Amino acid sequence: MRTPKKRRLYLVIACGLCLSAAVGLTLAAFSSTLTFFLSPREVVSKHPAEGLSFRLGGVVQVGTVQTTLSGETPTTHFAVTDGRAAVPVMFTGVLPDLFREGQGVVAIGSMGTDGVFHADEVLAKHGSAYMPKDVEQSLKEAGKWDPKFGPPPDASSWNTMPEKTGS
Amino acid sequence: MMNNWPFINGAYGVTVIFLIAAAGLTLARYRRAMARLKQAEEL
Amino acid sequence: MNENVQTIGLPAKTGGWLHYLANPGRFLRTIRPILPWAGSASFILTVVGIVWGYQFAPADWEQGDAARIMYVHVPAAWVAMAGYAALALCSLFSIVWRHPLADIAAEEIGPVGAGFTFVCLVSGALWGKPMWGAYWVWDARLTSVLILFFLYLGHIALIRAFDNKAHGYRAAAILALAGAVNLPIIVYSVQWWNTLHQGNTISISGGAKIYVTMLYPLLICTLGFYLGFLTMVCARIAAAICERKTASLLLAAVERG
Repeated sequence: MRTPKKRRLYLVIACGLCLSAAVGLTLAAFSSTLTFFLSPREVVSKHPAEGLSFRLGGVVQVGTVQTTLSGETPTTHFAVTDGRAAVPVMFTGVLPDLFREGQGVVAIGSMGTDGVFHADEVLAKHGSAYMPKDVEQSLKEAGKWDPKFGPPPDASSWNTMPEKTGS
Repeated sequence: MMNNWPFINGAYGVTVIFLIAAAGLTLARYRRAMARLKQAEEL
Repeated sequence: MNENVQTIGLPAKTGGWLHYLANPGRFLRTIRPILPWAGSASFILTVVGIVWGYQFAPADWEQGDAARIMYVHVPAAWVAMAGYAALALCSLFSIVWRHPLADIAAEEIGPVGAGFTFVCLVSGALWGKPMWGAYWVWDARLTSVLILFFLYLGHIALIRAFDNKAHGYRAAAILALAGAVNLPIIVYSVQWWNTLHQGNTISISGGAKIYVTMLYPLLICTLGFYLGFLTMVCARIAAAICERKTASLLLAAVERG
């Protein structure tokens, strides 16, 4: 009782399964190269060769940002962490607006002989939670969230809370 | 803080221009197709 | 109406809801009175959503006014992906059940979907520059959406590349179905790999990490974009059906002499 329609349907399903399996296996095999950046832990365990260009991603460790001005251009020293390891970074130039302690960043550069990551470019990663400034302030004042120390709490606890009026 | 409004205006501008252009082209094609069909049916 | 249906090669027998939906003549009769209403509704929703997002929604705590780009970028991305899902579904109907309306629909979805993908890419680049510090990076999310755009372009070219229309429909349907593996990759790219692009704000499991006064304009824009896409695609399908009828009527007139 195999009508042409049924046969074609099974054929499409079989092709779909094969293709999905092939793509899935390929993605799994290449998953490390599909990653846009290495985390500090991966940098510590893999020891990329000095001078080899790669991207380092993580969070700007709280209390490590030091900026010194030499002439016109600022040089900033900070550490990038993923909570388990930290890599010191040096960058000369103007940082993006969103750069702050606790901010996710991706730095492009290479490790120097001094064990410091010399960044040629720093990109800022931003969060996926959207809220007005007032709501963020209220959460901060209530001690429920400090943007320096990670993402906001469970969305249902704030996405409909009343906006702070006056102060 | 850098002025972000040129970027915001650009993004909204591109979107609005696309929507107007796509809707306009679709409406024009729809009307032309209807008119031509009517003409052909009267033939 | 029935002889018109015959001219575009639909089997005359009826049976099952698929056949009901797949009858071009019936589709035309059903859709024509709805189009002006759907068009007006999508216009109003889109205007309200865009003005609300651009002017009245609050600025974001972290990104300030730049987050307003979300109100056009995110709906465009959702429509681009839903459009591709619809394209893949039409291709399935085309390959398995050989529905002529599915072929016409696939041909007409392509350009509109590609347009929304383009809007998504451009608005995303204009959002990336002030926030990340780069218009474009080759991370998994951005790259997979660029692939979506190329899949749309490939489909548009392939479906029109053959002198024999049926060959084009078959080849394009295979491309569209194979390309559908890209859809889950786009959605989960931000979870599977480290990306510069932030994670999904709205997910089925995690709820909406967005404040209500910012969620409303986003939803209204999304509704407007979806309805606009649907209206444009249906109007294009209706136009395509009419164009084919006109061609066959003219051909018949020529043959009569």
